[in-house]
Amino acid sequence: MYRSPPGARGFLLSIGLLGGAMLLAFGLGYLLFRALALALPRPIDTPYPGYLILIFMAVLLIPLLVLIARRYPFITDWYYLLPAISFLLAFTFYPILLTVYFGFTDYTGLRNGKPDRSTETQVVRVEGNVLLTPGDAAANLRCTHPNCTGDPLELTSETQRATVTINQVEGNRIELSAPPPFTPKLVYHVNAYGFVGLANYREIFANAGSILIPIFLWNLAFAAGIVLLSALVGLILGLLLNNKNLRLRGFYRTLLILSWAMPTVISFQVWGALLNVNFGAVNRFLGLLGAYPVPWTSDPEWARVAVILIGVWQAFPYWMVATLGALTTIPDDVYEAAKMDGASGWRTLTGITLPLLRPAFTPLLLSSFAFNFNNFGLIYLAINPQPAVEGRPSTAQAVDILISWAYKTAFQADGGQAYGLGGAISFIIFIITVLISLVNFRVTGALREVR
Amino acid sequence: MATSERNAQGGRSSRHSLGATLSSLLLWLLGLALGVWLLFFYTPNLLGRVQPRVPFGFVFIERGWLYALGGIVLLVALILGYSLILTALSNARTGRRRSPWPLFGQGVTHLFLWLVLIVALYPVLQIVAASFDPNNSLYRLAPPQSDNLLVRSRVIPDFAQASLENYRKLFDGVQIYAYQGVLMALALLSLVGTLGLAGYRRLIGDNQEVSPLATAQGRLLALFALIAFALVLLLSPAQFTSPNTEAKFVLWIRNTLLVSGITGVLAVLLTATAGYAFARFSFPGRYTMLLVFIFIQMFPGFLGLVAIYSLISNLSLLNTFTGLILAYSGGIISFGTWVYKGFLESISKSLEEAALIDGATKWQAFTRVLLPLSAPMFVFIFLLQFVGTYSEFILANLLLTGSESWTVGMGLRNFTTGQFQTKWGVFAAAAVLGSIPILAIFYGFQRYFVSGYTAGSVKE
Amino acid sequence: MRKALLIAAVAALSLGLAQGKLTVWTHYGGPEVAWLKDQAAKFQKSTGTQVEVVEVPFGDIQNKFILGAPQGQAADLIVSIPNDWVGAMVQAGVLEPMGKYATASYINGLSDVAVDALTYKGQLFALPMFAESVALIYNKKYVPTAPKTWDEFLKVAQANTTGNRFGFLYNLNDAYFSYGWFTAYGASVFGKSGNTLDTSQVKLGGEPGIKAMTFIRDLRYKYKLIPEGVDYAVADGAFKDGSLAMIMNGPWAIGDYKKAKIDFGIAPMPAPPGGGQWRPFVGVQGVAMNAYSRNKTAAANFAKLLVSPQSQISFNQAGGRVPASKAAVAELKNDPVVAGFAPIIASGFPMPNIPEMGKVWGPWGNALSQVTQKADSNIPSIVNNMVAEIQKSLSGK
Repeated sequence: MYRSPPGARGFLLSIGLLGGAMLLAFGLGYLLFRALALALPRPIDTPYPGYLILIFMAVLLIPLLVLIARRYPFITDWYYLLPAISFLLAFTFYPILLTVYFGFTDYTGLRNGKPDRSTETQVVRVEGNVLLTPGDAAANLRCTHPNCTGDPLELTSETQRATVTINQVEGNRIELSAPPPFTPKLVYHVNAYGFVGLANYREIFANAGSILIPIFLWNLAFAAGIVLLSALVGLILGLLLNNKNLRLRGFYRTLLILSWAMPTVISFQVWGALLNVNFGAVNRFLGLLGAYPVPWTSDPEWARVAVILIGVWQAFPYWMVATLGALTTIPDDVYEAAKMDGASGWRTLTGITLPLLRPAFTPLLLSSFAFNFNNFGLIYLAINPQPAVEGRPSTAQAVDILISWAYKTAFQADGGQAYGLGGAISFIIFIITVLISLVNFRVTGALREVR
Repeated sequence: MATSERNAQGGRSSRHSLGATLSSLLLWLLGLALGVWLLFFYTPNLLGRVQPRVPFGFVFIERGWLYALGGIVLLVALILGYSLILTALSNARTGRRRSPWPLFGQGVTHLFLWLVLIVALYPVLQIVAASFDPNNSLYRLAPPQSDNLLVRSRVIPDFAQASLENYRKLFDGVQIYAYQGVLMALALLSLVGTLGLAGYRRLIGDNQEVSPLATAQGRLLALFALIAFALVLLLSPAQFTSPNTEAKFVLWIRNTLLVSGITGVLAVLLTATAGYAFARFSFPGRYTMLLVFIFIQMFPGFLGLVAIYSLISNLSLLNTFTGLILAYSGGIISFGTWVYKGFLESISKSLEEAALIDGATKWQAFTRVLLPLSAPMFVFIFLLQFVGTYSEFILANLLLTGSESWTVGMGLRNFTTGQFQTKWGVFAAAAVLGSIPILAIFYGFQRYFVSGYTAGSVKE
Repeated sequence: MRKALLIAAVAALSLGLAQGKLTVWTHYGGPEVAWLKDQAAKFQKSTGTQVEVVEVPFGDIQNKFILGAPQGQAADLIVSIPNDWVGAMVQAGVLEPMGKYATASYINGLSDVAVDALTYKGQLFALPMFAESVALIYNKKYVPTAPKTWDEFLKVAQANTTGNRFGFLYNLNDAYFSYGWFTAYGASVFGKSGNTLDTSQVKLGGEPGIKAMTFIRDLRYKYKLIPEGVDYAVADGAFKDGSLAMIMNGPWAIGDYKKAKIDFGIAPMPAPPGGGQWRPFVGVQGVAMNAYSRNKTAAANFAKLLVSPQSQISFNQAGGRVPASKAAVAELKNDPVVAGFAPIIASGFPMPNIPEMGKVWGPWGNALSQVTQKADSNIPSIVNNMVAEIQKSLSGK
């Protein structure tokens, strides 16, 4: 049998070998792709699809891995992880990195690094690195910097396209930093985005008192409220249904699971409509009981109550099922012993059942909390439009939690898209989630155990 | 040396218990403060926000809750009387002295469960009702003429006006080829066979995992899955001839089944080997990798929409199901790996060790010994991913364009967020039909959900 | 010369392909999609260019187009975009200036409001299809003639607000619907310097803005016309049900009202108390072209076919929209819907098409929601906060 070098050295060696192999395969795959495109060109309209690179990469990676395994046999252990790791790298890790990077830029839908079509300017003549235009070039291009110095400019002809940098603009002359690679017909100013350091974070924390902190507190209350209430309801129902003498147990269980089994994209939206203050079915029902119409979706406080109740409605069957599952692991003889001792039903419950359920419930409670902390679907689908709260911007209304605030900021505010700011908020959410989970792991000792 | 160690331990444990008492006291105090605040400050504020007026079209019963409460008390009293009389009668007949309370408790439990059922199923009832309402709206203002109080207040839908129009719209202009019809009949037949066998097995009390009947049932189910998959592949957009968007509903179901099904299979493939490695190997860096797997999934992934878009676009996979499946694939790897690892750790190593001693490689030990045992876990991981992606619509919305490639979630979302229209009736009909696959899976595989969640998380 | 060159180059490119193919994104539904597919089939018959019509939800088009066009992943044409998207999409670089494809005589045949609305920084970016605005739509069963003054209106509305039906409803918190009240009190979104909108002057606040907001709140709490919980679906459903006398709504809803066999009339809203003429937002939708399209000539030809007066008449017959072409409007003058909406559209304000408009909707709707939440909401402070939020996001941090 083989043995890996121990400790950090072994780890780094393995990571280095795997990473090196993947990088090499990717590089070769990319080169192969370009070579193919050069050797057997295809029309611009239908170029070779980009996923060919991945296929080439996979084909190249396999012999590479076999070679490495010959030289370092211990690496084969890692090959079992390779499918998962490569998918994580490509489709989880890479988008995360890019998003975090956006958080340090001023990238928006408008400032997207693409030419602004309303600045279309004709080029009459080219003299070295100077382009001559018919009118006042500075006014046409609407540059961000004085004299356009350093602004990017897109050049186009019928067949070609390139982006260059402007040295300066004077009257009808555009002076580029280098002569254009081809003779341009039309030029456009590019709305470039760039690195802005911590500006996005500064903006978020500057309003922390009125936005970040209240949303965070509500987010905690929202997640905790749903988890605790639904766990309580589910526990009670589970205990009731665990009674083997109860008739129709299966029937009750089957019907009660329905709210958990329904796709949320359906049930949450329907709830929003049912809770309408004057026209919703819920208030009509409450009216029969003598309640005046409750402003579930039009009052900020009631909207918060409403989303928690919807969350409980959706999640309690999960806890019911979990309770039933955990109760099957408690052996019957424990109860028989208690019965022999003459313990009452209540004493059995508090003395035996609940303490035995606790170890099963703790991790479930914590993971459920983490899930509900980012329960975007509930917030986004159930109450729409949300009641507004005085003193808060339109992206952070009554029931918005951190993640829906980030979503609205990134994709709905600022004329559609503030990707940079959204990226920064995502990163903050990530940090908060990690911190909460660290606390969780401390409580459950989950990490100690796997070590 | 030994004594001092013991002393140190004693000191630590007493300090620990003091700290525990203090922290539990603090917790209780916090809870108490929260309770007081909720009860005496928050609730009055909340109630103050309800305006005391009866809106249009409302059936309002002053102090209706008293009647309701009275009704419940009456029912409890009836149950009490029933159990007293029944016990007395049976005691008199058999001469034994049995207490009436267990019977009473059962009765009250039933009553309570029925009340819970009413609350839990009320929205479902409303969806079903709206799907039969031709007005295409959840808000009918003109109250129905009826003698029934519950119907007049529109708590119970007025089925006198029910129509199938909303459902008809969903199937408008769908053409089914003859061979597809045959396949459908076959699928239906095998499904009925599976269900019949399951029912028969329950009747005769056949609970074994391995019995001739169970094998037959499993094969029939596999046949059904196969035919269903073939149907999903064979359905083409050209068969949907109606110009109306909602008439492509069946196509959306087909797209969703395809995407969710393949994503689920992919999830199993990706997590199986990783879970095995984490559970059985002790290579350096194992712990670090486990941490990476956990923490990477805490990033709110769908906020990286723009990044995902650019990635899928660079791969030339925009507006393809492959692209969407790849974008989904990262989602469950971490969780699935952890769950599967936990499951394998609960299986004794002795079986594989025997195989390894017989000269099998690790790979052979995994595929021959562990894989056959893991079927329930794989079903669980598959189902989790299937259910999770079934109603996803944000990523799908970004990557897929055109109503022919929509998924169910996107279609449903579109009904309620059109520029100036909310098609609640069609939405409800689509919701009822769209829930069926998920509900069938949930009820069919309930066992796996329970065992999966317990295997994955019930470890201290 | 330049145009000829460009067209020649593009034509050469499209000849190089086996057959050109156009993709069109649309947010139309039902009969209007059928109309579009009809036109596509006609176009294919006459030119041989295949046109694929793809349905994309209204709310997604802008975002997807901006992301997808530079990657070559968006349609050649969008049928159609509302004018308030024009600025943002132009700045993101995805719209082709349409001026070079449209002749002067074609432009002259269009209503001026429509051309203005789709012109950004002096260039036309979409060929106008139809114009729309909200108006007072009344059920003739309850309201035989449209009320002319506010007092008449209020009397009719309150008289019809009975246990069995409502007098007047609309989606109160929607800034697009409520804008007419703002203009009546002298507010507007942006001020003007010369002929162009000046984004440094946000004119929604101040005395006029407060008056308008107060009036909107009064509709709910003082006149007791529009209760809480009324959104678009409720108001629209009530009108279709015949349990609503008057609604504020636009031409897009007319098809449903006809189908529900409601005998309705169309009129402008009266001036609110103490205010001037009610003038709503005019939205103009036009056919826009992808700047990255590889088939621009064919796309332009198809766009021109779609906006020709004949097509506009058939489009009106399909969905009841009010065409932008003067000839088509003249031909349809006997149509009560066109006749009802045309003067209101002529009197309205085009929605600002500058990208800055995107930063206004959110805070504005947010403020409306706050104002109408309580009978005693603090309107001056809400309005000030709204203006501050808009100004802050306009100044770009």
